[in-house]
Amino acid sequence: MKRTLLAFIKKEFAQVLRDPRMKIILFVMPMVQMTVFGLALSSEIKNIKLASVFSPSDSAARRLSGRFTSSGWFLPVAVTPQTDPAGLIVSGAADAVLVFPAEGFKRAAARGRGGVQLLVNATSVTRARSVEAYARNIFAAHAASDAGLEGASAPFGFDVRIIYNPEMESPVFMVPGVMGMIVCLVTIILTSMSLTREREIGTFETIISAPLKNHEILLGKTIPYIILGLGNAALVITAGFLIFGVPVKGQLWQLFAAALTFVITTVGIGTMISTISKNQQQAMMGGFIFLFPAVLMSGIMYPVENMPELLKPVVYLNPLYYFTSLLRNIMLKGGDPSAFFFNMTALTLMAAASGTAAYKRFRQTLN
Amino acid sequence: MSFNIHRALAVARKEVMHILRDPFTLILVLGLPVLLVVFFGFAIDFDVKNLALGVYDRDNSRASRQLVSVFESSGYFLPEGVPSPTAAVKGLDAGRFSASLMINPDFGRELGRGGQVRAQFLVDGTDNSKAMAVLGYLPDMSRAALKKINGSSAPEYVTLKSRFMYNPELNSRWFVVPGLAVIIIGLLSIMMTALTVAREWENGSMELLLSTPLRPAEIIAGKLVPYVLLVLGGVFFVYLLSRIGFGVPFRGSHLLYLAGVLLFIIAALAQGLLISILTRQQQLAMQLSMITGLLPSMLLSGFIFPIESMPAFFRYFTMILAPRWFMAIARGITIRGAGAADLAAPIFALLVLSALLLVLAFKKFKTDLEP
Repeated sequence: MKRTLLAFIKKEFAQVLRDPRMKIILFVMPMVQMTVFGLALSSEIKNIKLASVFSPSDSAARRLSGRFTSSGWFLPVAVTPQTDPAGLIVSGAADAVLVFPAEGFKRAAARGRGGVQLLVNATSVTRARSVEAYARNIFAAHAASDAGLEGASAPFGFDVRIIYNPEMESPVFMVPGVMGMIVCLVTIILTSMSLTREREIGTFETIISAPLKNHEILLGKTIPYIILGLGNAALVITAGFLIFGVPVKGQLWQLFAAALTFVITTVGIGTMISTISKNQQQAMMGGFIFLFPAVLMSGIMYPVENMPELLKPVVYLNPLYYFTSLLRNIMLKGGDPSAFFFNMTALTLMAAASGTAAYKRFRQTLN
Repeated sequence: MSFNIHRALAVARKEVMHILRDPFTLILVLGLPVLLVVFFGFAIDFDVKNLALGVYDRDNSRASRQLVSVFESSGYFLPEGVPSPTAAVKGLDAGRFSASLMINPDFGRELGRGGQVRAQFLVDGTDNSKAMAVLGYLPDMSRAALKKINGSSAPEYVTLKSRFMYNPELNSRWFVVPGLAVIIIGLLSIMMTALTVAREWENGSMELLLSTPLRPAEIIAGKLVPYVLLVLGGVFFVYLLSRIGFGVPFRGSHLLYLAGVLLFIIAALAQGLLISILTRQQQLAMQLSMITGLLPSMLLSGFIFPIESMPAFFRYFTMILAPRWFMAIARGITIRGAGAADLAAPIFALLVLSALLLVLAFKKFKTDLEP
């Protein structure tokens, strides 16, 4: 019995790895993806094109607009005082325009009318929000220093400390999330097509007629993908550590347990999809129907807290949500036992459920 | 023998039959846009609310309670009292809190004496979107707290008045939904093309088709036409839903938008074709179309993550991605009401890219099939 199973697993590995292009997709592409996403994606808004409209003799306005430039978030756009501020945004020459009072900033301020208008291109909501927040902070700092009260003018403030990722480095943010996403993608795609492919090519009949028991076929069809998924996870973690210095503060066994349970869950789901679909195109669409909400409702790209109540159940049924929470907790926070226990329990339940369901469907398909 | 439209149409009819015979695929192709719009349209809200906030208030004075109430009434935070500073940190460790506020015992007294006080604020830095949101809310919180505790606001002799153009209420839907057309086209046309052509190869029926009097160009055109129509249907559906369901404005020219859509579809089809010729196998074609089609169009097109904030290399790299340009066109036309002149650069870039991909796909196809 052991021998046949082993042979079956070997066959499955050979089938996947035979194709050099498949090897590239399995091992090289995840690295490329992680590098690209780790380096490129950041929610911090930078390089905002800012124009300041004020009269040339207005030194106070110049000082304040200099503060914007030196903050590092804004790129100055050269304009003349006669420019139409709204026109700058319409033409795309600027993302934001500061309009100072025409009579001179200082004089207007002295008369209590130092209103400065900030025009923001709000096509991008996230950018518009950041621009406004930056501007408010710069104004507050400016007001304090202008009054010669550096700090003292604000009787109350927060000492903010960002823990776990004090420098707010975006690879540290992104890598655990992207890693979960890559493992999920690879395992679902591979398994959802594995069985369908055999059926489409006609080799499925051969497998059935082979001297293998049902559970052996199931194990033979899933174990290779569990191993490949784990290998992928290990690869991505190593790359995250070596390339971006993303730490693994928790225990490696925690990471391994989390990855194993998650991969079992996704392989189970993928197998289920492949028993339902009649051809590869259907399998891939089915995989998609699962992957899309899974990735979106996982908290990788945006927080799940403020999702409508109606969609919250989707979040709580999403294995990737728990896996992402686990990865972030183990890698960045050191694996807090209560969080680990809670998320692992949820994930284990899902692994059990998807494993059983896959086995049941699988048996039906075989008989 | 030149391109014959009738022969191409015959192939198209065969492909339609393939699709119709397989209602599962049809439902999925039509259902995916619905799914996308519903999930994206309802789920994404950049206005992060209901953030769990651990509060350790050792002062428990009127002032400190007022500070906490400011957080509570803002609607952004859900404060929850904890008995010790360790508990506040543990809550962050366990992921129960997104941030923790710690108030020193002499907070109220110092503030009453006109001194300077600081409250400790810890932010969980593992989740970027949440951390950024929390940091963005803090200045407002401290301003509001001061106002509440002192009874009046500090005289602000310099004020800032913001005006958000195009989307005055900063409605997240207006930002997200117009971008969805990009994802749907990028997804469906690349993947469906890649798979349908790869399937003919895998089944061996491509050889069969080639041995008929059909020219390669006719086969390809015929195979792709039904999918173009399906994708256009998906785009139209998103358009209807965004106008009626989400109330997103459409301020520009519909004709220009349609032209942009067609141009982007051409680029996407050519890319899918290229993938299918290179792989000739469905599983690989699918993986490649996810990696080169879906992920860039979702992540590197400016859909959620801004291109301006990327490192210089990626800002230039995204220039070779058609989704980036179509994203600019789609958002420009719908939200800003931009005309052809305003969008000259992205339109030109998209034109060049589609032409390039098309030429590449046909070249590869020809060298592979015509000895």
